[in-house]
Amino acid sequence: MSRDPRRDPRLVVARRELASLRSEKTIVLAVAIQLFVAGFSSFLVVGLVSMYDPGAVGGTNMDLGVAGDETSQLVRAADEAGSVDPTVYSSVDAAEEAFRAGGVDALVLTERLDSGQVRAVVRIPEGSVRTTLDVVQVRSVLVTYERRLRDRRAGSLDRPLLREPPAASSSPYFGFTYTVLVPLLLFMPVFIGGSVAVDSLSEEMERGTFELLRVAPTTPVDILEGKLLATAGPVPAQAALWIGLLRLNGTRVVHVPELLVLTAAMAGAVSALGLVVAAATRDRRFAQFLYSSGLLALFGATLLLPENPANTIARLAVGSPGPATYVALAGYVAIGAVAVGSVRLLPRVVDADHL
Amino acid sequence: MGLSALLRIARWEVLKGTETVDRRSVMGFLAAVAVTAALAAALSGASVTHDAGIYRIGVDEDSPYHEPAAADPTFALVPAGPAAVGDGRADIVVVDGRFRVADDRKGRAALAEFRTTVRNYNDRRMDAEVEEDESDLGAAFPVVVDLEYVEQDAPGGGGPGTDGAGSGGGTGGGGASGGDGSQGGAAGDVGGTGGDVAAPRIGGQPLLAGEQSGTPSGIQPPFPLGSLLLAFLFVVPMNFVIQAYGASILRERINRRGELLLVAPVAPTDIVFGKTLPYFAAILGVSVVTAVGVGGGPIAVAAVAPIAMLFLSATFLAAMFARSFKELTFLTVTISVGLTSYAFVPAVFTEVTPIALISPLTIVVRDLLGESTSAAEYAFSTGPLVLSSAVLFLLGTGIYREEDLFTQRPVHLKALDALASRVSGPLTVGLLTVAVIPFVLLAELLAVALLFVFPAPLSIPVLLVAVALVEELAKSAHVYAAYHHDIFERRVTSALGVGAASGVGFFLGEKLTLVAQLVNLPGIVEGRTAFPEAAAVGTGQLLVLLLAPLVLHVVTASVSAVGASRSWGTYVATYGIAVLLHVAYNAGVLLRVA
Repeated sequence: MSRDPRRDPRLVVARRELASLRSEKTIVLAVAIQLFVAGFSSFLVVGLVSMYDPGAVGGTNMDLGVAGDETSQLVRAADEAGSVDPTVYSSVDAAEEAFRAGGVDALVLTERLDSGQVRAVVRIPEGSVRTTLDVVQVRSVLVTYERRLRDRRAGSLDRPLLREPPAASSSPYFGFTYTVLVPLLLFMPVFIGGSVAVDSLSEEMERGTFELLRVAPTTPVDILEGKLLATAGPVPAQAALWIGLLRLNGTRVVHVPELLVLTAAMAGAVSALGLVVAAATRDRRFAQFLYSSGLLALFGATLLLPENPANTIARLAVGSPGPATYVALAGYVAIGAVAVGSVRLLPRVVDADHL
Repeated sequence: MGLSALLRIARWEVLKGTETVDRRSVMGFLAAVAVTAALAAALSGASVTHDAGIYRIGVDEDSPYHEPAAADPTFALVPAGPAAVGDGRADIVVVDGRFRVADDRKGRAALAEFRTTVRNYNDRRMDAEVEEDESDLGAAFPVVVDLEYVEQDAPGGGGPGTDGAGSGGGTGGGGASGGDGSQGGAAGDVGGTGGDVAAPRIGGQPLLAGEQSGTPSGIQPPFPLGSLLLAFLFVVPMNFVIQAYGASILRERINRRGELLLVAPVAPTDIVFGKTLPYFAAILGVSVVTAVGVGGGPIAVAAVAPIAMLFLSATFLAAMFARSFKELTFLTVTISVGLTSYAFVPAVFTEVTPIALISPLTIVVRDLLGESTSAAEYAFSTGPLVLSSAVLFLLGTGIYREEDLFTQRPVHLKALDALASRVSGPLTVGLLTVAVIPFVLLAELLAVALLFVFPAPLSIPVLLVAVALVEELAKSAHVYAAYHHDIFERRVTSALGVGAASGVGFFLGEKLTLVAQLVNLPGIVEGRTAFPEAAAVGTGQLLVLLLAPLVLHVVTASVSAVGASRSWGTYVATYGIAVLLHVAYNAGVLLRVA
């Protein structure tokens, strides 16, 4: 193109779009919303995991009442599992009495069955914050107990049990960070960008200002591409910002260039979709609805792929990309390029009077 | 307010919608619905894994660990070799039954994950073992667990008679689990419920926690995954409807389109409610369909309706404030996120504590379980929402007039306009303070629900500050708006009078918090922090307890009113002082009670 690059009408339109966003301070609101959603989902997971993880809640030991036919192995399992103090009662009645009086936090009553199994009736007090934690602690005791009994009885099994790998002290949030939080943070700017594209075009049509722009020395294609640039352009920058913040927070995100290319491709495709929807419907009420439900449907459809987009982001970010990851990445780039290119055809397909 | 005018506008709203949407859009919409339905059908059959291949493991094909690793999609198999971990090509390598693990967070997470994988693999092998030879049951699944939730008397509490009889009976008989021969099979499907509650199941897990029996590893803590999904089923359609509703309101404000309706002989309230009615009806209709689909009753729809009202009223105000569709989108997204979390977070604790009742969705979940909800609980759950939406509509209709509809101002100035439009003297200041009490309740209840999972030493101080911030803002925001609009003279004496009016209004309104006692919220330590007086009632210091908060509210409201009468800067400063006073007072009350 021989035009002065600074006077490129597409850049002029894009600059104007961004200026209007800046003057309304909606960018600030957008970033605040994303921070809230990310912080909120992290909060929820941290809060819930700490309810599950005995070690995370101040290390208060649980008093477990044990009674019935089988107690010795169960007590040893409780000692091995840690964070549980078992007390053996001579009779079921005595144990239940202690439980009712609040002397123990939970109760395991054992009974030998004819099949050789041990039935463990677990009583957990209901209706308190501790309920979840109690269940998790008793479960860990019973899982250990089951393993010990299996080992003792392994002789009568045809299939040997596979030895469990050693226990590792790992953050329970590790998987969540990469499989949920990082994809969420990278998708949100993409979705919001597309939504702004819908608003930007349908508002011009509602106000009738698109007509005015057509007498300006620009083509409808320039205007559409300028809008596309303004809505999809900032997305990779936002993604980079999130990745940087995660790094500051101690979450190492790798394969950053691939992730930025991926978000750019998705932003191009989703913003182009927004423009197409807005041009086709012309009614903002309907356009925004169609855009969001259509995007939801598209996102649902990607879950049927062998490797869905959230999974692709997770594998790249955590540093375990496979061949399928790069095939998917190439696919998204191709889709993005086709979608961005198709915006050029939009004025021809949609009746010019409509635009 | 004329009912016929209201209904006529509602009819226009529906008809206008069908006219502007051409056939192509309808086709597009129908196609989207069809695709979504097909997708839902396809997805319900497919297994979606969000963590596929995030860890890499190197294990030889002849290693016993190869089979479990290959069967778990979380692990990607990479060529084995002792050096693979050092080269960064794998997170775990198994060599001769020994584990070599990368020395970073990812390696440790991978090892912890693989431990679970091997455990599940062993369970599957034992399943196969029992299938071949049932006499191996005792060795394959040596432990059968019956989990029961029992009410435990508080230490030192009343007679243990009634409960004991009930739980004692369950021990010996234990009719819940079937014949011994089927135990091995039961091990596979997690947590067969007692059978008396026909709760729907999602992904093999019981929708709602209850009695469970199975292998030890199959026992699930009472995490109401189902109620979270239900929350989404009811709330998701609202997010779509408010997009259309907000756009319809904002359209009236574009190119002075709404002027025609405004000069017609109808009241602004008729216009607003006429335009709102179809959208409210749409949400209700979808909710009824959802409720029928998941097996809910009328009470479920009755519980969802107030959430819909709050969604619509907040969107209405947002559309009155917004300058453009773009701004409206951001405002509606903010509303969606905020209100969805308000409905969502407390519902997480449905099975655990009365706090869950803050969200009406908890009533929906209870209804699905066949549990009843008392009228007081319904009022506690929905009251703040209904009152809040009434106030939002009140503020919005206050600026539904020519000079506000067609002017463009930044959102915060519009908000000040809306507040100031309802203020004319000290009396109205006090009344408006009473009116915002429901928001104070909403905000404080949400704070309680958010901080409730954290230990008390951390949550209590944060909550004290949050409560003071919210309450002082409620007492002073409209006072500042009134001074900003020069409704009152900027003198200290007038400011003291206005502040006192606001403080008295807040004191009267705060007696609403006595509702909190109906569901025993003060029994929870975070609840006491938010509502200290509610916890203290009954200690015999009634007179002091009645007068002290009145003095507090009048003093802090007057302090911030004096600041508001000067400038933005002094308002912020005096607001800070008022918050500090408030925190000190609440901390003092808490210490006395404790």
